[in-house]
Amino acid sequence: MAGSDVQGGSQAIVQARDLCRRYGAGEAAVDALAGVTVEFPAGRFAAIMGPSGSGKSTLMHLLAGLDRPTSGTVSLAGVELTELDDRALTQLRRDRIGFIFQTFNLLPVLDAEENILLPLSIAGRDVDRDWFDQLVQTVGIRDRLSHRPAELSGGQQQRVAVARALISRPAVVFADEPSGNLDSKSSGDVLELLRHAVDDFGQTVVMVTHDAHAASFADRLLVLADGRIVHDGEASSAEQALDLMKAIG
Amino acid sequence: MSKLVLRGFAQRKVRALLTGIAIVLGVALMAGTYILTDTINHAFAEVFGNAYRHKAVVVSARETLGKGSESQTYPISAATLARVRSVSGVAAASGDVSTRATLLTTGGKRISSAAPSLVAAVQPPRFESFTAVQGHLPNAANEMAIDQATAKREHLRVGEQLVIAGAAPARRYTIVGIAKFAGSESFGGTSIALLLPAQAQYVAGEPGEYDSINVAADPGISPEELASRVRASLPSTLIVRTGAQEAANQTAELEEKLGFLRTFLLVFAYVALVVGAFIIFNTFSITVAQRMREFGLLRTLGASRAQIMRSVVEEGLLLGVAGSVVGLFAGLGLAPALDGLFKAFGADLPDNGTVLETRTVIVSLAVGIVITVLAGFFPAMRATRVPPMAAMREGVQIPPRPLPTRRALVIRFALYVVAVVALRLFVGGGVALVAFVVIAIRAVRLRVRLRRGGERPPRHYRVIPALGRAIGLIVSWRGITGRLARENSVRQPGRTLVTALALTVGLGLVAFISVLAAGTKATIDQAVSRSFAGNLIVQNTRTGEGGIPGAIAPSLRSIQGVGTVTAIAFTKGSVRDLSQPGAPVIDENSPLTGIEPQSFNRMYKVEWERGSAATLAALGQDGTVLSKKFASAHHLRVGQRLLVLTASGHHVTLTVQGIIKEEAIGLFSNLTISRSLARSAFGQREDGVDFISYAAGANGTQVHDSINALLHASFPQAHAQTAAQYTQEVSNKVNKLLLLVYVLLALSVIVSLFGIVNTLVLSIYERTHELGMMRAIGASRRQIRQMIRYESLITSLIGGVLGLVIGVVGAVLVATLALSGSGYVVSIPVGTLFVLLIAAALAGLLAAKLPARRAASLDVLGALASE
Repeated sequence: MAGSDVQGGSQAIVQARDLCRRYGAGEAAVDALAGVTVEFPAGRFAAIMGPSGSGKSTLMHLLAGLDRPTSGTVSLAGVELTELDDRALTQLRRDRIGFIFQTFNLLPVLDAEENILLPLSIAGRDVDRDWFDQLVQTVGIRDRLSHRPAELSGGQQQRVAVARALISRPAVVFADEPSGNLDSKSSGDVLELLRHAVDDFGQTVVMVTHDAHAASFADRLLVLADGRIVHDGEASSAEQALDLMKAIG
Repeated sequence: MSKLVLRGFAQRKVRALLTGIAIVLGVALMAGTYILTDTINHAFAEVFGNAYRHKAVVVSARETLGKGSESQTYPISAATLARVRSVSGVAAASGDVSTRATLLTTGGKRISSAAPSLVAAVQPPRFESFTAVQGHLPNAANEMAIDQATAKREHLRVGEQLVIAGAAPARRYTIVGIAKFAGSESFGGTSIALLLPAQAQYVAGEPGEYDSINVAADPGISPEELASRVRASLPSTLIVRTGAQEAANQTAELEEKLGFLRTFLLVFAYVALVVGAFIIFNTFSITVAQRMREFGLLRTLGASRAQIMRSVVEEGLLLGVAGSVVGLFAGLGLAPALDGLFKAFGADLPDNGTVLETRTVIVSLAVGIVITVLAGFFPAMRATRVPPMAAMREGVQIPPRPLPTRRALVIRFALYVVAVVALRLFVGGGVALVAFVVIAIRAVRLRVRLRRGGERPPRHYRVIPALGRAIGLIVSWRGITGRLARENSVRQPGRTLVTALALTVGLGLVAFISVLAAGTKATIDQAVSRSFAGNLIVQNTRTGEGGIPGAIAPSLRSIQGVGTVTAIAFTKGSVRDLSQPGAPVIDENSPLTGIEPQSFNRMYKVEWERGSAATLAALGQDGTVLSKKFASAHHLRVGQRLLVLTASGHHVTLTVQGIIKEEAIGLFSNLTISRSLARSAFGQREDGVDFISYAAGANGTQVHDSINALLHASFPQAHAQTAAQYTQEVSNKVNKLLLLVYVLLALSVIVSLFGIVNTLVLSIYERTHELGMMRAIGASRRQIRQMIRYESLITSLIGGVLGLVIGVVGAVLVATLALSGSGYVVSIPVGTLFVLLIAAALAGLLAAKLPARRAASLDVLGALASE
């Protein structure tokens, strides 16, 4: 299996310890995260939910090395992120992390194929053609490869973005509301794809969402409220997730 | 709404600053030009005013060919001076001499200044404009005084010797004094040597004769009264003016000459302003596009189209006012810099204090503001068409302009006609033509729209993307950053085009001028090698300072080894066509060439339209050959007769005997006559150039050396050059002028660089989100910087390539259409053009510095969150 080199089993790919993130100072200071400790094992699909301002996006940004914690540590694939300088962080993101954004974020001047290969181009790495073909097959955009984003539907764009996130065989894929801008059909397709990446390629996926239906595609559901984890368990169904959210208010 | 404008301005400081510079530089050059030329005029007026303060009346010879002609005046005799002295009311009168001459060190080094040097005669104390600041004014024949500015510049001291060369063989004089002229250290960079009258006459080659007479009045007699008395006693060939009139006259003449300098500099100011207008237009277009949401919101809240329009126009107005005011002040600083520039190129102009006239302030501010507002007007029009929907969602298109009604079309057409006619009448044909072309293009586009039933014609920006991608190939080896830069640069072809065009204007002019200059050099080269059959060319070492004494040619003939010497003189006359009824004047100030037919034929190959070498040989005292251009302009044929009024007031009748094809060196003027006629009837004592050929079997090097020795000893203002040396000198001169033009055009290139910076900054702002994503997925800061740099490189190269193409094509067109008759050879300076392209590339990289840094330092999270 293509993803089998990504460690299976329960070894944690991403670990966060006592993560705090404070914005501002003095009276106006806001704690977006107030001490979060969490691990994400390899080959699993985790969903992070929570109301607006619960800290779910902040958590993801810290885990992905896009932001630095006020205190606490993050290690990703055995590397301590808080000890890295900007250059090393950039390199780590390039080589070890895949990103999927709510707004697709494809480069409009590149066609679909170039967009998929962008992380490799940036890194100056060779393309593994077999892996590329397999990905393209999986996301189902073979006949759209030479199209530019403007010529693709939202669902197609997000599928290109998924392929882009997977092309460098990252240690973990972070998805930020991947279905937020899609209709329900496309949304389902993209979530299926992520599920597929975890099941068939052994990919680790961490997804932030406020959509209970989206969360139901994950193996595990974390719920944040006021900067703390208030639930961590199986993500069995959308109804359960919804109930949880309601319980938090 | 105005408050909104001000606030918006404050929020976009960098953009306002960058856009403002576009207008500041142009206005600064314009204001600087006015300030500099006003200052110079003012200084001269002061100098002349002082010089003529103690001269009640001045008598000078009438210039027969009208004011401003360089024609010499025929001298005033000692008898005339005596007659002036006898007029009642004249307290004293003294003859003055003022003649061009060459000053050299005893070592033969020319006292250098671009302005010509003069020799003047010492005057009795009551008339003397010079005052010695060191030593005394000359008392003896071998003594001289020198002006203070020259003494300072050349480190001359009392007791040193100088050589003065004029019409007669050069003599040595000892400096006995250093003097101020009319209270001023310098006289516009002109070096003035003061000699006893007899010595000044010797230098001028007019022993016993004067150029002007200074007259003082008896007590109680006004200058005007004295002037009319003196005038009554003298022939009408002499002009009698009061001292004040003479000062005003001299000042006016100089101002007229300086008018050229002003026009020359203003051209560059306007070029910079046009480039600035491009940038302002571009910036406003981009910001209007970026502020769609804001305009939509204002519309939703009930703002009218007029209010939206006004808010954008007010922004332009504010920018125009701020930029023009800063530009005006910058002009105060730039004026001395321009002066310094001219000094560096050898033109020393007087500058006593700074003169800021009201006109300078008004014109600079008005032009700066009007250009800015106009450039912002079209984007403002676009902003008014933003629909309220733009506030609600992204990607709302600005609807096309509604089609004009038939009545509006008629009114528009009428306005256009009035505008073009008005421009033609009040501004000039060139401007009117440009306006006509612009209107014609708009009319064609409107027609296309009408035919498509109101659809906006698709913008055919195919050229720019194609060009951008082609140029982008040079960075494509840099992998993804190169690839992205290539695509980004042509993402908004219109924007890229206007940004690049700003650079195109400056570079196009540089290319245009360098091609024409290369052609000039090639033309001279070719003409000399084709036509010149002699060995040496003798000329003034500074051709701008006049010719060479007529006495050189006979002296050269006596040198061993010299075969033939032919002297060529240039003179002027007013030409009438006798074959037409009433014999109308066809050229009031026509240049004439005087040749020695026999020897000339042996030394120079003439290309004949009508005639042959025999025609020249038979020129005699009443024959002339015409240049083809002159003949065809005035419909003159062989056999017709012309009446020429000479510079010395004689009339000669000439019969056209032949017509010469145009030649490039400029040896043949409108008319060519024999040199002996030029000397007798025209009073032309100076020659322009002598050609020499060696005697058969003579050792060329030896002969050249003996000629040099003779020139050095007796005529140090002249030198003998081989054809190769001559063409080299021409090319050096052309290069020097080119360099000056380059320096002045550099300003508009700098303006266009700010345009590139501005466009990049705005594009980066637009693409913040995209850049954030790239950084998130692992692009390094270096890669982002690289991408922006390449993007700028491509844009600047598009501008550069377009500029070079337009410049070269334009120059070739001008050369083939306008100069085709004159034997002009087209030559493309490939090396120079290549250097220009490299310069454009470097400029692009330089312009990218700030934007690239900005893009690379974007905060990833902030950029991702921006929407």
